[in-house]
Amino acid sequence: MVKAHGRGRGVARGIYFLILVGGALLMFVPFAWSLSTSLKGLSQAMTYPPIWWPHPFALQNYVKIWSIVPIGQWFVNSLLVASAVTAANLVFDSLAGYALARIEFRGRTLVYFGVVSMLMIPFQAVMLPLYILLKDMGLLDNYGGMIAPVAVSAMGIFLMRQAFLALPQELEDAARIDGAGRFRMFLQLSLPLVTPTLLTLALMIFLASWNNFLLPLLVANRAALWTVPLGIVMFQQEYFVNWPYLMAAAVLATLPVGIVFLLFQRWFIRGVATTGLK
Amino acid sequence: MAAVGHAGRSSSAGPGLDAPPAPRRGLDIRARETRAGYLFTLPSLLVLFLFVAGPALYAFYLSLFSWSLLNHMHFVGFANFVNLVHLPLFWTAVGNTVVFAAVVVPTQTLVALGIATVMNQNLPARGFFRLAFFFPAISSSAAISIIFMWIYNKFGILNSFLGGLHLYGPNWLANPAYALKAIMIMNIWTTSGYFMVVFLAGLQAVPRELYEAAAIDGASAWQTFRSVTVPLLRPTTFFIVVMGVIGTLQMFDQAFILSGGTGGPLHSTTTIVLLVYQFIFSYGKVGLGAATTVLLFVFTLLATIGINRWLGTATQY
Repeated sequence: MVKAHGRGRGVARGIYFLILVGGALLMFVPFAWSLSTSLKGLSQAMTYPPIWWPHPFALQNYVKIWSIVPIGQWFVNSLLVASAVTAANLVFDSLAGYALARIEFRGRTLVYFGVVSMLMIPFQAVMLPLYILLKDMGLLDNYGGMIAPVAVSAMGIFLMRQAFLALPQELEDAARIDGAGRFRMFLQLSLPLVTPTLLTLALMIFLASWNNFLLPLLVANRAALWTVPLGIVMFQQEYFVNWPYLMAAAVLATLPVGIVFLLFQRWFIRGVATTGLK
Repeated sequence: MAAVGHAGRSSSAGPGLDAPPAPRRGLDIRARETRAGYLFTLPSLLVLFLFVAGPALYAFYLSLFSWSLLNHMHFVGFANFVNLVHLPLFWTAVGNTVVFAAVVVPTQTLVALGIATVMNQNLPARGFFRLAFFFPAISSSAAISIIFMWIYNKFGILNSFLGGLHLYGPNWLANPAYALKAIMIMNIWTTSGYFMVVFLAGLQAVPRELYEAAAIDGASAWQTFRSVTVPLLRPTTFFIVVMGVIGTLQMFDQAFILSGGTGGPLHSTTTIVLLVYQFIFSYGKVGLGAATTVLLFVFTLLATIGINRWLGTATQY
């Protein structure tokens, strides 16, 4: 087969490869352009036609923005909120996922469909009632308001349930004969076996929380509570003419995500491929 | 979290320490399992009810009242819905959102399918390409929106590039005829790579033998694609279209950031969710915002049912 169509296949593969190179370039250019602008002085950034290579490199943009806006505080806030959200999801989602997969209890099907139906309600859609609820609960303008509403994820429960379903039943039967309770079976027996899924869940939740824009926009009025995405948007609305500063902030905001992604990309892809859910 | 720790301890200590007499054991196990099941799921159910299902129900309730957040609520029945359908801005937002979804969903699905198919050809550096296409999808929408505002600048890199091709480059974000298009392009750029990875996973699940059989039958690449790949990817496509429609109908971040929260110029980027935001924070009309939320639920549900009718039934081979 390969021999018969050897040349045709070679040409086709060449074209396919070019499509991929072109596409990858298209994905890369906006980031490269923001990096390039972030290293220019203001007048050089505004020249038309634009130039790609900054001359000289204006690294001071990266120093300046730390004193113009409390970007350090935003990073601390983002890290704090995303870590708390991730920790909460790891605990709650795996507990619920375990029960739905391994414990046969009355009403389980109902609970399962209840959880799955939550997937149909996107966060943005309930923005208004959620805002009023958070206001009544005293969760505006504090970290709690940015953590509690996303402390559990229906997608995360679903993901963990799939992982626990794949474990063999015999393990638990043996443990039960030894008289182990459910929580011990969960913690010591099953949980260590789904570590890869836990890592996938942690990464997906951390990233979603780190990138979340709407929830901090609703909750955080004080600049001291802003997270990185909210902070840079507010920064943009105030300094909308100084593009080198803004691009430096955008690069700084993208960098941690990029590093985490490069280190753990295998787990991300796995998460998307196995659940197909964001 | 304290509640979970307590729940765990009590359910684990019970059965191990004082094992009940043999005859009653069967019944007890079932009762204990039910208790454990609810102790394990309760924290999650509480949070989901409080912050997802509860607000959704609350929206229905609020849609029947007139309220500015500052005054007293008073019951107005369905008046909010009546006012809403007579409000031109509401229909502008619905129109913008529907057009946005109608352009973005097919485009991103086709682009994602195309790239996934190419990627599935066993070409070199596949890992690198997958990374490159996926990266925009995991970057912050805020950072990307700001980067694109700069790219879309009247004297920005995009118009310079278009000028090089002797094409007209509009003032993208300030021109009502182009602002929504600019957001569409950015959105497709962001999400295509994500759905590509989903398609790629679906493609890798297609049995090799089917392609080999098609090759033996002398099918062309296009015939193979149409008769083997597309039908077998139907469940994946269904999922991607549903996610795409739900995602685009709720579009907020990008419209908010690129228009500075105004939905402008001339309401050309006001989406349904952005209008909801403005109803609370700009106009102080909670009831109208809640009514809009309820109608958004209805639209989303109808769209999902429609797609289910169209793509939902899986093809069996």
